[in-house]
Amino acid sequence: MENGNTSQSEGKDPSGFLGEITGNPVIVKLNSGVVYKGELQSVDGYMNIALEKTEEYVNGVKRRSYGDAFVRGNNVMYISADS
Amino acid sequence: MLFFSFFKTLIDHDVTVELKNDIQIRGILKSVDQYLNIKLEDISVVDELKYPHLSAVKNIFIRGSVVRYVHLPAAAVDIPLLEDATRREAANQAGKAK
Amino acid sequence: MPEEESAPVAEPLDLVRLLLDEIVCVKLRGDRELKGRLHAYDGHCNMVLGDVEETIYVVEDEGDEEEVKTVSRKSEMLFVRGDSVVLIAPQARSS
Repeated sequence: MENGNTSQSEGKDPSGFLGEITGNPVIVKLNSGVVYKGELQSVDGYMNIALEKTEEYVNGVKRRSYGDAFVRGNNVMYISADS
Repeated sequence: MLFFSFFKTLIDHDVTVELKNDIQIRGILKSVDQYLNIKLEDISVVDELKYPHLSAVKNIFIRGSVVRYVHLPAAAVDIPLLEDATRREAANQAGKAK
Repeated sequence: MPEEESAPVAEPLDLVRLLLDEIVCVKLRGDRELKGRLHAYDGHCNMVLGDVEETIYVVEDEGDEEEVKTVSRKSEMLFVRGDSVVLIAPQARSS
């Protein structure tokens, strides 16, 4: 199982990645296509997400911003690190 | 259990249940269970011309999962009690989703 | 069981806990939005909101023009079933 030196998140379960990127800028895409960009405050086992300094994009166009935002996990398609 | 208990305090009050298919049914709340299934009595359908198919029905059992909203009489809700119960439930549930 | 009364935001629902008795903006499935005072919530995002204004965004097909109309409704006290909820935020700053 151990295949030597890998980057931090390889070999762990996928949610290990989420622990690594908390506090960092992320992109969250919902099943509806709406995208949120912000700083990842926290995630739980349902993929509920708390974001800070959130910006909402619909069809690539910025629609509004929220100071904080809670996103219900069932709507989430992916969470990606925003570099 | 918070909302199950909450709805039990509203039994015998007039409520309007709005379903996910937009139909709104007004009636007297007669019972509720842990899934938030709802039994209404003496119902009427808001906008009956658009939704005539329930006009002969007096009592109705609504599956909780098809509910979008329940409009409540504000006078029947003890807000400080409800907020305290919410804080207590939040403290008990903390960490469950980890 | 130690109860941390006002623990910081360690899990996402803590953010919602901090909004209790505040005015919140809730986005729902089906292009709906609610603005009202948060009186209760649970782990499913079931909620009770007071003095609520609901806004529904409807796309109208007028010939070849598509225009988005909004319909507004008010409710003095509203239970919202959590499975329709997409996002919860403190009252929005811009729109």
